[in-house]
This record gives sequence, structure tokens and C-alpha cells, in this order.
Amino acid sequence: MTGLLRHPRTPRLGGIAVLVVLALILPYQVGSYTIHVVNIALVFALLAIGMGLAMGIAGQINLAQVAFFGVSAYATAILTTHNGLGFWPAAALALLASAVIGLLVGVPALRMQSHYLGIVTLGLALGFINWTTNAEIAGGAEGISAIPVPPMFGIDLSSEYLYYYLEAVVFALALLFGQFVVRTGLGRRMMAMRDDPLAAGAVGAEIPLLRMTAFMLSSVFGGLAGVLYVGLIRYIAPDTFSIANMFLLLAMVVIGGRQSLAGCVVGAVGLTLIREQLVDYPTYAQLGFGVVVVLMVVFAPTGLAGVPARVRAVVDRRRGTSADRAALRPFRPYEPGEEAAAQEGAPPMLEVRDVSKQFRGLKALSEVSLTVERGEIRGIVGPNGSGKTTLFNVVSGFYKASGGRVLMDGRVISGGRPYRLSMLGLARTFQNLRLFGELTVRDNLLVALDRTRTRAIWRYLLWPVGIWRQERRLHRRADALLERFGLTEFAAAPPGSLPYGIQRRIEIARAMAGSPRLLLLDEPAAGLNGEEVRQLAEIVRSIRDSGVTVVLIEHNMGLVMSLCERVTVLSNGGVIAEGTPAEVAGDHTVIEAYLGDSAMADMPLPDPTEVS
Amino acid sequence: MQVFLQTLIGGLSLGAIYALVAMGFSLVYRTMGLVNFAHADVLMIGAYAASTFYMSTKLPFAVAMALAIAVTGLIGLVIERVLRPLENKDFTLMLIGTIGFGMVLQAVAVLIWGATGRAVSSPVGGAPLEFAGLRVRTYDLVVLAIAAVAVVLLAGFLQRTKLGAAMQAVAMDHEAATAVGIHVGRSNAIAFAIGAGLAALAGGLVGPLLYVNATMGGAIGIKGFAAAMLGGCGNIPGAIVGGFAIGILDSFAAGHFQGYSELVVFLVFTVAIMIRPTGIFGEMTVSRA
Repeated sequence: MTGLLRHPRTPRLGGIAVLVVLALILPYQVGSYTIHVVNIALVFALLAIGMGLAMGIAGQINLAQVAFFGVSAYATAILTTHNGLGFWPAAALALLASAVIGLLVGVPALRMQSHYLGIVTLGLALGFINWTTNAEIAGGAEGISAIPVPPMFGIDLSSEYLYYYLEAVVFALALLFGQFVVRTGLGRRMMAMRDDPLAAGAVGAEIPLLRMTAFMLSSVFGGLAGVLYVGLIRYIAPDTFSIANMFLLLAMVVIGGRQSLAGCVVGAVGLTLIREQLVDYPTYAQLGFGVVVVLMVVFAPTGLAGVPARVRAVVDRRRGTSADRAALRPFRPYEPGEEAAAQEGAPPMLEVRDVSKQFRGLKALSEVSLTVERGEIRGIVGPNGSGKTTLFNVVSGFYKASGGRVLMDGRVISGGRPYRLSMLGLARTFQNLRLFGELTVRDNLLVALDRTRTRAIWRYLLWPVGIWRQERRLHRRADALLERFGLTEFAAAPPGSLPYGIQRRIEIARAMAGSPRLLLLDEPAAGLNGEEVRQLAEIVRSIRDSGVTVVLIEHNMGLVMSLCERVTVLSNGGVIAEGTPAEVAGDHTVIEAYLGDSAMADMPLPDPTEVS
Repeated sequence: MQVFLQTLIGGLSLGAIYALVAMGFSLVYRTMGLVNFAHADVLMIGAYAASTFYMSTKLPFAVAMALAIAVTGLIGLVIERVLRPLENKDFTLMLIGTIGFGMVLQAVAVLIWGATGRAVSSPVGGAPLEFAGLRVRTYDLVVLAIAAVAVVLLAGFLQRTKLGAAMQAVAMDHEAATAVGIHVGRSNAIAFAIGAGLAALAGGLVGPLLYVNATMGGAIGIKGFAAAMLGGCGNIPGAIVGGFAIGILDSFAAGHFQGYSELVVFLVFTVAIMIRPTGIFGEMTVSRA
């Protein structure tokens, strides 16, 4: 509870209470036309929330939202008028239909992203419009009329005032559910996927399932909007689901702020009201919306919802508060684990057997073999382009090996997706820092701390209390982890604003959040100063002492010499030497690989601490 | 067989139009990494401008077309200048920004030319030609010929001129291009102007085939983008192949599924692009799924 309340985005309870009271008394204050406009605005708000979840939260471009809206609206209309079903059974089936269509439209997202997904979803939306204007069952261009009034325990829902309360309740519940998703594990994972799908996979997020989930959420919100729309207007025609309305919806989401559900709602309600004001000048309205969208994208990409944060950032910078004054605390070592050393007969922690990797003509790795024992710190060195990072990418499941096998703790892991390997206890960091840029430091850690499988999201519908309890546990563990890595004072900062050395430490903390058995560090000392390198060595040793096997790629020879028990040297995609740091440093092939000329092998080695 | 060939021929002229749209889209995409969703609306402006010069001011069709290309080229320069902060940035923002621009262009078109739209008479009259029992409209031949000339000119420009070579360099690596002294901003602006000109050409040519109105860009544009992807985004030969592929698919879908042709076209396209996300000829950059 406390952890969640500290969350900076949790709005004040008092504000919510005021909004609820205003919503309750609203029908008593306005005329019949205004209440109609408000009802329409709520429908658009639901659509916008769905769109925000897919585009803003999960980063999946979805230009088929009007089609989801249309599928459920048409399904309800056809089932009630054509098949004689009651309104609510028809509505339930319609929601199901739009969820199924959402999943189908989401399938292309497994293979493509960004503009590709944009065109494909837009094309499918056009296809749907094409169906509605031609299908006899959909009434063609005339649409379907005489849809029955939804029954509700004798309440006459043909009155738009009473219908408003139905909509308001559905909308409030839907918004609450949306916010619940965004602020808990599922939403964090989707945002992590938005910011960096590769890193999200590496910390255990099942990207394909998450993308499908995003589309399904989006389509269910669209479906709800469709049902409410049909019950309200009781007549539908293809015009409502046009591409122009799709783009209007997009404008709502962008102007309001696509990464905030509240922003999406504000955008939807605001634009609907403005559009009604300008109902006699639709062209000028469109011109205005277009201009505002362009200006928003160029000057305020986070939309209206992002304005308070930007203002706060400016004020903070003026006063020089918070992040500037926060200090990195010292690392608190782990308690030594019981199985730090290799046990008798246990398989090695990492075994790479004859792994090759070919990129078209280029052979990046050729039959690389190496064995890392439990509790070891292994260094991997080699000139640039020798295949070190490629090896990491193969081991951690980013690349599929062209040949050979990788075993972790005696189990074959080659061919597994990154999130599977993460679940099995493999963690890694990246050479060019891949933190989730728009999440706070705390959320970065929370994403990795959450070890539940994504398929456990059924609990969001059936057992939200379980999610809530798990959140409290996760937040407690995040606090402990922040404390251990000395990052507590940066918990609420976005990582991009922090110095490089701190970002490197956050990445190690995030990798350790998954409680791995094997940790791969890709150039952890790159860009660090001398003192930071010393702290890094201390951290890595403590991690090893807690029972985690560490493999690190590093160019800083001083660090490698002092930290690693054994060193493997790669050159041109093959292992050219392996041994203790001293053995390797004296090896002629190694010196030749680094200096390129055997004649220089007799010259004294440069001071290793200076090589970086 | 007769029907098959007739359907095939029927798809060629629209295929050539889609190819022109896809070329313009691809040229801009590969030069500055900008996915220009306003491209379709630039086409619509081009169609209106060409038809206005041709029908209202009674200029010859070729002159009207050249004027329309010049006008939209200028519009292209304006769009490029406004959206320059977005180049090589977040795809989502770019996409939304260009969609916003498209909304503006549509509204402007309605303000200038009204909401009703217009039919454009064909610049070449006469009965369809007959070859071995196949009927070919003379205007279709004109479209194909002009499109072919445009392709040859563009290829010549990109490969034979210094400016074209500079644009190729920017497409490959804009930072390296800056380092060797190429003015990337100017190169991008020219690419955008040429892209807009190609859109205007497509719009001018499609006028007599379809009905010109403010929302005509929608279907043509999305099919043009689909063509660019099918061929491989940013790939000029791919754009041509993709354009004809979509045009012919369109024609067959119309023949077999009548009213549902668009639905069928986009379903087939979706399946095709899922099988080969980088298109037939591949592209330079594709986000890893």
C-alpha cells in the first residue's frame, strides 16, 4: 500500500471525489443536447483509452481502433435486429467478437512494428469499412436502424439522461481497470516493451504475448465503446467508422497525451466538445485539429498530460533541486551464498559447445567452445570485432546459433527465446546501456523483479487482489534492491537524466533483480572513471560471492587482470587462448592478435590499467 | 485466358499509379527515414491542381501536369521544413505528425475546391484499341508511358547526377554524408520536393481514371504504401514491382469479389507482408520483431 501510494502518478483521492460528485450532478445542470454530446464524448473516451493502451503504453501502432469499435457495434446491431437476440446477450457476444478481431489484427504485430504495423492495421480498417458498405447483412450505406433500447430493470434507457449514468458507470469501471493495468506489473511490462523490446525480453517479458495482450485490451475497450454507442444512438452506418474518424481519434490521443490514460480521456472529451461547438464549420475544425496535432508532435510530444511534468522539470532545473542534489550511496555487499564454489559432479554453469554464427557471408563466430564453472568470474577479451558481443547475443538467445549448442547448468538453452532464458536464471547487461528510458529507476527494477509469467494476467480479471498483494511484495523488494545498490535517492528519476556511471550501476541492479544464476556483463566498465571501476570490481565480486556465476566482456585490462580467475581470448570469431590472466597476458598469439605483429611481442606490455 | 489477360491489363494503369506513389514514398523514406503519411494527401492536392489547370484554365494536359508538379513540390518543401525536427526520430511521432499534416491538406482542399469533388475528362479521346481480342483504353497507355518516363528520369537523376549521388549517400548514412560535405538538409528538401512531385504526377494521372475529391488520397495512398512495403520499403525497383503487384491484385479482386475487393486486397497484402516483412527486395532498416 505504502509503496503504491508513494507512486508519483497516483492522483489525490480528494480530486477523484470532486470529479465523482461533478459527474453525478452533471445531468441536472445541462440541457438535452448537451447530455447527448457528453454521452458521445464518453464513447470516444473509451475508444481513446483503448488506443492509449495499445499506442502509448505498449507502443503498438494501432490504426484499426475504429474497426474494433465498428465490429462490436455492427455485431450488436445485427444480433439484435437480424437474429432477434436480447440487447445484453448480443452485447456480450459483440464484445467477444471484437476481442477475437483484436487478436487477429494483432497477429501481424508479431512480425512487424512501427510504420509497417501502421499501414497493415490501417489497411485492415479500410477492409472492414469496405465490408460494412457492401454487406447486405450490414445494411450497406444505409446501415442498420431500429435497434432495440437496452432493457435495464425497468429503467428507461431511451432517456439520454438515464443512459448517461449507465455510460458513466461503465466508463468509470473501464478507466479504473485501465489505470490498474498501467500501474501494475502488466502495464510496466508493456511500457518496458515500448521503450526497448530487446531489453524487456532479456528481463523476462514475453514480447509476443504482450503484443497480443495490447491489441486485445485495445479491442475490448473499442468493443465496449461500440456497444454503448449502439445502445445510445440505436442506428449505425458506415460513416461513423471512417478513416477520418480514425484520424480524429488519433488526434484526441495525441493531443491529450498518449502515454497517460487520463490524458487520452481529456483529449477525447475536449475534442468532442470542441467539434460540437464547431459543428457548422467542420472543415475549419479539421484544419484546426490537424494544425494542433502537428504542433503537438513537434513541440509537446507527450501531449497535454505531459505538460505538468515538463513544467515541473523546468522549475526543478531553475531551483537546482532533487536529482542534482541526490547522491549515489555506497553498494551494500550481498551475503555470501552457500554454494559459491563448484560442487562435486555438478555440471558447469555455462558450457558453449562448438558454437558458430554466420551473418550471410560473414562468419562472426566459428566453433567457439568454452566452459565456465559455477561461482567463477570469467573474462572474455579480444580486439574489436572479434565476436565477443555476438557470443553473448547467442548465449542470451538474441541470435540463433548457426551451429553448436549452449548449455546452462547442464540444460540445453540454445534456441530459447530471451524471456525463457531469463526465467531459467540468465541475466545480462548491454554494451550501449538499454534502460527503459521513460520508466523511473524504480520501475526499471520492478519490471525485472516481476518473475510471474505474462499468461498469469487472467488474474487481472478474476483475482485483482492477488495482483495487488504481489505489487506490495515487489515494491518492498525494489526498495531493498535500490538500497543495496545505493540508488534510493534516484528511485523516481528517469534513467536518461542520470550520469553515465549511475546508469551502468542501474543496469547491473536490474540484471540482478531477476535473481539470476548466471550473469553476463557486456563491457560494464566502459565510460567509468577510476573510482567507479573500483566500485564495479567490488560489486561484481560480491555478486559472485552470493553464488552467481559471472561472465564479463571487458577492454579494461586492469579490471580483467584483478577480477577474473580465468580469461578467454577471442579473435576473428575463434578462441585463441584461455587461462589465468597471467598466462593469457604472456601468450604470443594473444599479443599478436592485439598488436598485429609478432615482432613486437618482445616489447614490454603497456601498463594494463591504461588500456580501456 | 481472355478474361485473365483482360483483367491483367485492367490492373496495369492503376498499378503504374501505385508504383508512382510508392516511389515517392520510398524516396522520402530512404533519404530521411521519414514515413510520410501525408503523401496521399499531397497526391490529392496534385490531382486537384492538375484538374484545375487543365479544365478551368484550359491549359494543355501536359502543361497543367507540370504546373501541378511544381505547386506540390513547393508544398513538399513546406512540409519538410515543418517536420524537420522529426526526421530520423521516433517513428510513432513522425507517423502522427504526417497524419496531422494530411488532415490539414484535406481541410485546405475542401476550403479551396469545395466538398463535392469533380470528374476529370480524359485528355485523349477515341475508342479503346484492340489487340488480339483484348481491349486497351488509350488513356491507360498514356499513363503507362508517362510513368515509364518518370521512372527513367528518376533513375537517371539518382545515378547520373551529382545531386542524385549525394542523395544516395545521405540515404546510406546521413552522418557520413555530412562528414564528406554534403548539405543533408538541402538534399532532404530536394528529395521531399521530388517525392511530392511524383505524388502530384500520380494524382494528375489518376484524375481522369477516378473521381477527384478531398478524401481520394485514403485508398490510393494506403495501397501505394502497401506497394512500397511489398517491394521493400525504400527500394525504388521494389516500389515499381510492388505497385504493379497491388494494381493487378486490385483488378483480380474486383473481378472475383466485386464490392469486397478492398477487403480482399488488404487481407492478401497482410498475409504477404507477414510472410516476408522486409518485402520482395528487402529494405535497409527494419525493426526487429
